[in-house]
Amino acid sequence: MSPNPETETETETSALAQMTGARVSRRRFLVGSGAVAGIAIVTAACGDDDEDDAADDAPAGGGAASGDLAVAKLAAGLEILAVDAYTAALTAATSGALGAVPAAVATYVATAKAHHEEHRDAWNAVIAGAGEDEVTEPNAALKPTVDAGLAAAKTVGDAANLALTLENIAAQTYLSAIPALTSKDAIMQAGQIQIVDQQHVAVLRFALGMYPVPEVFQKTDQAATA
Amino acid sequence: MTIDDRQLNELIVESQDLQVDALRGMRTTLPDLADIREDRRRQPVNPDEIIRFNANRRQLFRTVSKAGAAFGTRGLLAGGFGGLLATLVASPARADEALDIQILQTASSLEKLAVGTYEAALGLPFVKNGTGQAFTTIRAFAMETMSQHDQHKKAFQDQTTTLGGSPQDEPNPTFQEVVNDAVPGLTDPIKVVDLAATLEKVATDTYLLNLSALEDGPAKALMGSVMGVEAQHLATLRAVKALLEGNALDLITVPPAGPAVDLAKLPGAAGSVAFPDALEQVGPVAEPESGAK
Repeated sequence: MSPNPETETETETSALAQMTGARVSRRRFLVGSGAVAGIAIVTAACGDDDEDDAADDAPAGGGAASGDLAVAKLAAGLEILAVDAYTAALTAATSGALGAVPAAVATYVATAKAHHEEHRDAWNAVIAGAGEDEVTEPNAALKPTVDAGLAAAKTVGDAANLALTLENIAAQTYLSAIPALTSKDAIMQAGQIQIVDQQHVAVLRFALGMYPVPEVFQKTDQAATA
Repeated sequence: MTIDDRQLNELIVESQDLQVDALRGMRTTLPDLADIREDRRRQPVNPDEIIRFNANRRQLFRTVSKAGAAFGTRGLLAGGFGGLLATLVASPARADEALDIQILQTASSLEKLAVGTYEAALGLPFVKNGTGQAFTTIRAFAMETMSQHDQHKKAFQDQTTTLGGSPQDEPNPTFQEVVNDAVPGLTDPIKVVDLAATLEKVATDTYLLNLSALEDGPAKALMGSVMGVEAQHLATLRAVKALLEGNALDLITVPPAGPAVDLAKLPGAAGSVAFPDALEQVGPVAEPESGAK
């Protein structure tokens, strides 16, 4: 495998292709977003040995690709929901609807929004790489609850608590999904995002006056399901 | 000023309750793992697993080398990782042991090292005797985090035993060496927090790579669960380090060890310093055999 994914041939089989049984180009997989750099680390590190490629890209379970794609779609919907929520929070903050907005909160919202945009793009790159349409709508099951929370938010604290709920759901969904994923790239990507979402949770908890690491083991009781 | 015993006790009681609940959940996976152990007794060596392991090791090498080079420019442990990484990569895989057991043993060794490092940090005079809310908070966080790492170690040990392996109860020798090298230079709280953050990132990134290497679903679930907590330790330490560097000691406070932080006073950077990347970027890691018995 070439260290430069842009030079891959159009017929090379990637882990994502194996997710769905389709053959797609690694170029198609990697160009969707800068966020996919995380996956690029893994794929670029595979070296030039074709046998390595086969070993690295092979789904651990040797099949059941549709499950991974379902997780990717669920994840993309959650990320869109988060992006929309942070966008709405920014709009509310700018309009003064949340009162005075501390500098740290303004930075956090902008940073977290950008992170979730990258997460969304990363999952949509996976979905598009598998030959399916990208997800463009937020998670339908959770959207009404988030919309209601946003409408009720009158303070920075209200908005931060809503963000905390969303981050917990996202982080727990990834943790819940990882044992069932078969593609190594998908596992890696889910883990990379789970870590960052958990860190969002820690900082939100600190800002809200709560202990930042409340659990000895991360739970999954708030995880979303496909 | 000494630690507020009442608040600390509240913290410990709350933590113990959480630990009991969490361990109860984790132990529900053990029957599944026992089944896996029985399967492996009938087929102890899986050639595909060895191929998978060796492929991962080559993959790890390039990732870790790149990250280690960048890491080495950042100070505290500079110079320690170059030779260390070469040793890690040069050591052959122990193909006669199941990879999952090695991974769990090495995870136990990292947790053991973390417990020992936090314990040592709490014994440093300027940490032990430091006055003010910031030091009260730092000590309380260190004690709670030490306790959490000990529970992680026990969970990994339980899983190791259930899979038929021997539980690891020694610190990871490779990263113990790194800690030993760093200890003489721990002359202020920032350096202590930096060392702790280094260990938390090693654990977080090791467990991230382990997710792809582990075969067993329940073991993956445990690994991912602990990884998520180490990530929060790391984020907290990054924030604390930034506040220490900004001499904003009055903002290093969190219940129950102290009052809630004054959100309005937090600098803007506090909203981003704890998560520098949208997706976790892997740094130095402990290879599966580095802590295996």
